[in-house]
Amino acid sequence: MTAIEKVIDHGIYILGPEVQDFEKRFASYCGTRFAVGVADGTSALILALQGLGVGPGDEVITAPNSFAASASSIALLGATPRFVDVRRQDMNMDPALLERAVSARTKAIVPVHLAGLPADMEPILKVAERYRIPVVEDAAQAVGTTYHGKRTGALGQAGCFSLHPLKNLHAIGDAGVIVTDDEHLYTWLLKARNHGLRTRDEVEFWSRNTRLDTLQAAVLIVMLEHLDEWIEERREIAAQFRTGLRDLVGVPEEAPGSFHTYQTFVIVAEHHRNALLDHLQRRGVDAKVHYPVPIHMQPAARGLAHEPDDFPMAHWLADRIISLPIYAEMTSEQRAAVIEGVRSFYKGMGA
Amino acid sequence: MRVPYNYLDRQFGSVETEAILDDIRALVRTGEFTIGPPVLEFERRLGSMIGVKHVVGTNTGTDALILALKALDIGRGDEVITQVNTFYATAGAIVAVGARPVFVDVDDQYAIDARKIEAAITARTKAIIPVHWTGLPADMPTIMEVARRHGLYVVEDACAAAGAAYDGKPVGSFGHLAAFSMHPLKPLHVWGDGGAVVTGDDRAARWLRLYRNHGMVNRDEIEIWGINQRLQTLQAVVANRVLDRVRDWVDRRIEIARRIDAGLADTPQVRLPPRPLQRRNAFQLYIIRCEQREELLKYLASEQIEAKVHYPVPLHLQPAARDLGYRRGDFPAAEAQAEDIVTLPGHQFLTDIEVEYMIDHVRRFYRR
Repeated sequence: MTAIEKVIDHGIYILGPEVQDFEKRFASYCGTRFAVGVADGTSALILALQGLGVGPGDEVITAPNSFAASASSIALLGATPRFVDVRRQDMNMDPALLERAVSARTKAIVPVHLAGLPADMEPILKVAERYRIPVVEDAAQAVGTTYHGKRTGALGQAGCFSLHPLKNLHAIGDAGVIVTDDEHLYTWLLKARNHGLRTRDEVEFWSRNTRLDTLQAAVLIVMLEHLDEWIEERREIAAQFRTGLRDLVGVPEEAPGSFHTYQTFVIVAEHHRNALLDHLQRRGVDAKVHYPVPIHMQPAARGLAHEPDDFPMAHWLADRIISLPIYAEMTSEQRAAVIEGVRSFYKGMGA
Repeated sequence: MRVPYNYLDRQFGSVETEAILDDIRALVRTGEFTIGPPVLEFERRLGSMIGVKHVVGTNTGTDALILALKALDIGRGDEVITQVNTFYATAGAIVAVGARPVFVDVDDQYAIDARKIEAAITARTKAIIPVHWTGLPADMPTIMEVARRHGLYVVEDACAAAGAAYDGKPVGSFGHLAAFSMHPLKPLHVWGDGGAVVTGDDRAARWLRLYRNHGMVNRDEIEIWGINQRLQTLQAVVANRVLDRVRDWVDRRIEIARRIDAGLADTPQVRLPPRPLQRRNAFQLYIIRCEQREELLKYLASEQIEAKVHYPVPLHLQPAARDLGYRRGDFPAAEAQAEDIVTLPGHQFLTDIEVEYMIDHVRRFYRR
C-alpha cells in the first residue's frame, strides 16, 4: 500500500516514473537490454509479433497445449497459428517436429515455456536461425525460469511475460512486459503501446493504448524484490511433491540446464485422471487441469479444421494432466495434504 | 498565482482518496482481481446513469472503441467516418480493426459538421463515429438520421464526454454502441487507464463480454479468439467512488465555463464557440479561438497559467495518415482551428479566484 500511496502523491498515473523504474529492474533481472511494460500478457504477445512484422497471410508456429492467448494473439493479427506437437518429458514444443512446420509464410516461432519449465531452446533457435525466422518466447508462465544459465525471455528476439495475479511475479490486476535486446523493436514498442505517439502532438503510426498502469508498476517493483525467494519456496515444495509422488504418477523433471519455476506443478495420471481429480477436490485439494481442451480443439479454432490426433501428444496429455496447488505460502500441513490426497486415491485403487 | 491544467494533486487531496484506499485494501484481501464484483457493480451503475442496458468495462477508452467496431464486424475493406480534429485514438481504433478512417471537417463548435457527412459516404462505409469532442455532444439527431437513411452504424466516441447530454438524453445512449474513457484527467476517471463500451444490443453485449476475456465461455472453452481487454478490478473500485461525484464535477466545470465565457465576451480578439442550450457540455476541454496564439500561450505560461493546445496538428496531417491520401486544404475549418485554438484550464478543482485571475490575464494580454 505504501508503494501505491506514493503514486497517488505524485499523481502521474499514466506512464509514471514507476513504469520506467520497473522496466529497468526487470530488464536487468532477465539480462536483456530493454523491457517495455504493457497492459497484459496477451498484449505483450500481440505487440511483439506485430513489431516483428507479423500480419495477415503470415503463419506463426506455436504449441497447442498452452493457454489460448498463445494462439489468439497470432489469429488476432490476421495470421494463422501453426501448431507443433509437444514432448512427453517437458510438455513443450518438440524441436524434432519444428522444421516440418516451417513454410515460406512462417514469420515467427513462439515456443511456450509451459508451467515454468523452459522449452528446449537450443534446437529451436537453430531451426529459426537456419530459416531466419524470429523467435518470440511466450514466457507468460516462466518468469525467473532459466535455460543453460540464461533467463527465459532473453533467449529469442523478444520475450513476453504475463504478470497476472496468479503468476510468480504478479501485479494486483492485469499487467505484462516484453523484454528484448533489439533496439529497433524496443523504440517501436514504446510508441506502439501509447497510440503511436512520437511526441504529445505527433502520431507516427496509428496504434492502440496498451500501457502498463503506473499503480501496477509500483506494486511490481516491490514484488520483484521477493521473486527469487518465492521461486525457491516453490522449488522446495516441488521437490517434496516429486519425492512423495514419483512412484505413482508422472512428475515434472528438469533436464540438464533447465531451471523450473513451478508456475504450476503438473502431474501425469496415466489412468483414471478424472476420478483422481474428483478425489482431490472432494478432499479439499484444489487441483485443476491446464488445459483440458487443447487449443487446436477449441471452438475458436474451427477454421483450422484440426482433428484431435493432429497433435497426438498434446491430445494424450490433455486427458491425463493435473495441476496440483502450489504457492510459496503453502504450509507444511497443506503440502502433506496434497501428497496424501494423491496417495490415498491410489491406495483406494489397490495400487 | 499558479493556475494548473493538471489537477491530479488536488484530486487526490480530496475526500475520496482515503475511502478509495480503504476499498482497495478490502479488494486486496479478497484477491478477486480479474473481473471481480466491483467491475460488475461499476457496469450496472454506469448503465443506469447513461440509460443503456449493457456496459462492458475495458482496459482503456481506445480498447472500448476497438471493441465497439469489432462487435459490429467492421474490418478489412470497410470505411469508417469520423472527424478530423479528435484525439488520435479514434483513428487508431479504426485502423486497429483493419478499416480505413475517412475524415470529415468540423463546425464552429469543434464538432463533426453533420452537413458534410453525407458527402463522405461511399459503398464501403460501415459506420460513423461522431466524437463528443471537448465534452460537447455532437449533433446526434442529424447524425442518427443520416445513418438511418444510409443504413450505417453509429458508434459514439464519448471518451471525453461522460456526464454530457443532448436534450436531456445522456451521450452514449444514441448510437448502436458508445465508448467511454476513464483516463485520470476526466470527470469520470480511474487511477490509470480504464474504459467502457455501452450498448442496448444484447448480441453485441454478449460478444463483447466474450471477446474482452480471451473468448472464454468458461474457464476451459474458447468460443472465439479473444483478447484481454478487461477493466482492472482495482480501477473499478476507484470508478465506483468517482461515479458518486461526476454530476457535481461536471456542474462545476459548466459553471467555470460560464464565468470564462462572460469574462471574455467583450474581448474581440477571442472567439467563443456558440453554446446551444439543448446541449449539456461536460467541458472536458474549454477551448477558445484567439489572435496571436503563440504570444498568448507564452504570456500565459509566464504568468503560471497552464494553457494547452488540443491539438496543433489535425489527424489528416499526421505522419501516420500519410497513406490515406489527404492534403493540407482538405479540411479548412479544422486546419484554421488548429492554428488558433487554446485550451484554458477549466477543471472542477479551480477556485473562483484562480478563474478570475486567468480571465483577467487573457484580457490584459490583448489590452497591452
